[in-house]
Order: sequence, then structure tokens, then C-alpha cells
Amino acid sequence: MRTIILGVGNQILGDDGVGIHVVNEVKKQINNPDVTVDDAITGGMNLLDLIIGYDKAIIVDAVKSEHGEHGAVRRIPLSDFNTLHSCNPHDVSLVQAIEMAKKMGEKRIPKEIIIIGVMMKNIPCEFNEKLSKEIQKAVPKAVKMTIKEIDNN
Amino acid sequence: MKTITIDPITRLEGHGKISIFLDGKGDVENAYLQIPELRGFERFCQGRRAEDMPQITSRICGVCPVAHHFAATKALDAAFHVEPPVAAKKLRELMYMGYFIYDHILHFYYLGGPDFVVGPDAPASKRNVIGVIEKAGVEVGKEVIKHRAYGQKITAILGGKATHPVCGLPGGVSKGLNKDEVKEIEKMAKSCVEFAKFSLKLFDDIVLKNKKYVDLILSDPYQLKTYNMGLVDKNNKVNFYDGKIRVTDQKGNEYDKFDGKDYYKHISEHVEEWTYIKFTYLKAIGWKGFNDGKDSGIYRVGPLGRLNAAQGMATPLAGKEYKRFFETLGGKPVNSTLAFHWARLIELLYATERAMELVKDPEITSQKIRNPVGEPGEGVGVTEAARGTLIHHYKLTKDGLVEKANLVVATTNNAGAINMSVRDAAKGVIKKGKVDDTVLNMVEMAFRAYDPCFACATHTLPGGMPLEIKIYDSNRKLYKTLKQNI
Repeated sequence: MRTIILGVGNQILGDDGVGIHVVNEVKKQINNPDVTVDDAITGGMNLLDLIIGYDKAIIVDAVKSEHGEHGAVRRIPLSDFNTLHSCNPHDVSLVQAIEMAKKMGEKRIPKEIIIIGVMMKNIPCEFNEKLSKEIQKAVPKAVKMTIKEIDNN
Repeated sequence: MKTITIDPITRLEGHGKISIFLDGKGDVENAYLQIPELRGFERFCQGRRAEDMPQITSRICGVCPVAHHFAATKALDAAFHVEPPVAAKKLRELMYMGYFIYDHILHFYYLGGPDFVVGPDAPASKRNVIGVIEKAGVEVGKEVIKHRAYGQKITAILGGKATHPVCGLPGGVSKGLNKDEVKEIEKMAKSCVEFAKFSLKLFDDIVLKNKKYVDLILSDPYQLKTYNMGLVDKNNKVNFYDGKIRVTDQKGNEYDKFDGKDYYKHISEHVEEWTYIKFTYLKAIGWKGFNDGKDSGIYRVGPLGRLNAAQGMATPLAGKEYKRFFETLGGKPVNSTLAFHWARLIELLYATERAMELVKDPEITSQKIRNPVGEPGEGVGVTEAARGTLIHHYKLTKDGLVEKANLVVATTNNAGAINMSVRDAAKGVIKKGKVDDTVLNMVEMAFRAYDPCFACATHTLPGGMPLEIKIYDSNRKLYKTLKQNI
């Protein structure tokens, strides 16, 4: 079974880059030829391109919380999101991208797509390479959950 | 009109928020689009190594990495006083065409097109790419996916990862092309030319042959008589990668033409207290509020701005389409915001034809792709991002570190016009206090036409463009809230 772990976010935009900080740590801790670890500063369509062909995709990302939750880590199957990714008006959501690909007869979409989400109440808007203290604290937990997810079939 | 002050604390970051203010009769008095703006980039760059700038700036946003990459690289060419070899310029431009191909395809089929293909009256849940495929057919969908991927592949062959180009260096590029890569790109570019032709035909059949849509394009709420701006080559033809900045007026005549390095003498930025976005305007005319016409310095960039600011396209098929565009829509300049969509497809055709020209150029396999750099100094780099003119300006220390950085991004250049388009669209649809969900559609269509890149960071917001419209009565009391994707 081939798995891809993708850290998503922008590492020069503070907490937004938490997914990338997490996968950098994951990379150091695992050595499994069936697991690819990568990062992406992108959403929607490009994200779909990256996960196609794998059996399972684990996406580590910052997730905007609805009720002010900050720094918690949650495992969220993609099917629980009705929409995901790219608040950017110049892209479609991953869910929409997948829906479209399925309509086109694409057979190589991972059977399981899991989001490891680091919850945050604010959307970072200021350039910075560092994580805030609260979000930094969430990294070890997110790393642990991501690694556990590899074996969780 | 009463002065409206919106507390900066309520400045909204993360998604589009529109505040509409009604007058005593319930008609629209004014409207404000508040969009997130990433901050602190100039400060973030200070003290960094100059040659890192093309990589760092390509991470500003996931939408225009290639445009930032090359605006930065060109600014470094200038700052290090080096002229890249001809082959390097051609390689950069070829890669740039790949970026335009995937970017414009994405916008037309996935984002802007649904408004027309599915229809402006359709509910928001249907106005998306799935709706387009249901109407145009699965085979078309496959072609869309294939050619968008081709654009990305061309970019990736030349630049490393499509989303993180690494090829631009001051004085040239890091990697040339071999014969096999040339063959592969040629095959993809050729297919893209056909797909661009097909897309224009689709636009013809679905939009231009439908009187209702043409009437909508030409309707008052979507007209804006601003100046227009874009890069042009020496024959005043549209160019995405290089050239001079040309500005035309409301009659389509040349108003100004200047070298990118002199941008600050020609354009200036206006600040409003209710948003972090800055509004650029033509300095000599001045900021006269959110008004169009020759006495207001507001201008438009992007596909429509570029076509209006030029005197044609440099490739044969796109050249023909350029003529037809202006003949069909009543001559130059075309002021209809919704004509951005057609202009974008004409640019797609140009990008594919230009990619063919470049890949067939014998010089494209030359290995002379970099010249040695000189002493560090100051430099400006200008490119056309898919959504408009993009300017990078760096001042370097004698050790080659960034002392000062200034960026003027495409959406800033369009910000004044976008705000007016939103206001006018709201005016067209809200009368006597009557507000329904069509407001969302009409307003969204107005700003979506520009393909703006509202800086938008954290990800797992609802997909699609979240939009919230708050409408206030003449006493500034909240009258109604409309939401989409929130």
C-alpha cells in the first residue's frame, strides 16, 4: 500500500506553515519505502495532482476552527468536510477537484484521504518564518498522529 | 453622503466581505469590498540574500509563483547590472507561457466560466466546474484537465516543480532544454493551440450567440471607463514577460508609456482607512476617489487592461481574435468588466501560439544561458502576472543583501476598479431596499471577472470563494446579511 503524507501551507506565513513543520519532523522519524513525504504550498487542483496514484493520502494542514479552538490537533476524514481548501478565489477546493476527477472517470484517487488538522482561530496574515508558541506546542502531537495514521488501515 | 468610518478592528481577513450602504430610498449609496492583504513582506525580505528572492517571492502566494519568480529574477538582473543571454530570455518566456496556459484555463473553466456556461441566474451551488462539465460534456472536461496539466508540465520541465520554480538566476537561468524536452513541449504546446481555439469557439457558441449574455456584458452596471495598463513590445503588442508599460485613456489613445524602472514616477498608492489594501492610481492625474473617467487616476490591468492598452497581439490567430473582440464589442477601449473573460481566452490563444514559436526557435536548446553578474545595486523587474502588471523593486547592499524591497502586485493595481465594479453591480440589482440572493451572484461576477488573488492563507475555510455581504440601511443599521460558502 502506497501512502503519501503532504504538509500543506506556506512556511513563510507563520502558523499557516504548521503542516510543513510537522512533515519535516515526520521525515526524520520514519523510513518506509512505501511512504512518500512531501510539502505543498498549494490547494485544490494542484493538491489533487500530487495525491493521485497513491492508496492513501494524509494531509497535514492548518484548519480554521469554528468556535475559537486554537492549537488542538484533529483527525478529520476528508469525507467529513463538505468543502476544503483554497479560500483563494483562484482555485477550487480539493473536494470539488476530486468530484470533478471522478466524473471524468479518474480511477487513481486515494481510497482514503485523512486530514491531520491543527486547529487555529486566526488566519495568519503577516510574513514570518516562525510558529507561534501555542501552535508550536501542537507540532509533536500532530507528528505522532500522522505517524500513527500511516499504520492505521 | 455621510462619511463612513469602518473600525479597523472589523477589517476582515481571510475572506471577502462586502458592506453595502443604502440611502433613504433603499438604493445603493456605496459599497466596500474588504479583502485580506498579507502584510510585512517588505520587512520580511530585509537582510536576506538577493539571489534567494526569486524563491522567497514565489512563496508569497500559491497562485502566481511563476510571475513573482520572474519579476524577482528580472529585478535582480537589473540590480546586478547584467543582461541575460537571448536564449535565457527565451527559456524564461517559454516557461511563462506554460504558466499563462494553466492559469487562464483554470480561471475560465473552473472559476469565471461557470457564471456564463451554467448561467448567471443559476444557484451558486451549480455555478462551478461540475456544472460546466454537465453542460459541456465529459469529453470537454477531459480536455480541460489534460491541457491545464500540459501548462503545468511545460512550467515544470523548465523550472523544476511547477509550484516552486527554481530556474531564475540573476543573469539567466540555471537549466537549459535538451532535444527530447523540446519535442515533448512542442507536442503539448501544439495540442494547447487547438484547445485554445476550441475554448474560443465554446465562448462564441455559449456566450456570444446568446443575446441575453451579450446584453449582460454590455449592461451599465458592468461598464467602467478607467484608464488601462499593460506591458507592450516594441510594436505595442501585448507582451507578458517584457516590454514597456503602456497606459491608454478612455478613448483608446496612448496616455503614457514608460520603463518599468520609472514606475514610481508614474503611479502612486492611495490608502483608505477601512482596508489594508492599497489603491494605485496614475500619479499625474491623482486620486479622485472611486470614480472612473479621464479625471480619475484609476486604471485597470489584467487581460482586459492589457488588450485595451496595446495595439494588437503578436501572433497571427490571437491577432485575428483581438480584432474581432473590439469589432464585436463596439471598438476601443472595451469597458465591460465581463469582457475580461473573452480577453482571457484570447490571451490563452496567444500564450499557446507564442509557446510554439519559442519551442521551435533553434536557439531554445542553446547552452549559453547565463551571463556573469556585476556589482549589486538597485533594480526593478516588471512582468504581467495572469491577473495584471506585477512590479518588484529591490535595493541591495554592497554585499548583495536586500536593503529595501517594494512590491506592487496585480490585484493592487486593480483594487480601485474592483471596488467600483462591486458597487455598480450592487447598484444595478438592489432597488428600493429590495434585496435577494441574486445580489450575491451579480456582485461575485463583478469581482470574479478580474481573477483577483486575494491573499488568503489558512486553508480549511470552506472551498470556493467565501463571501459575506452586509447591507446597511440609511441609519447605518444592519438591514440584511447574505452569505455564500461560509
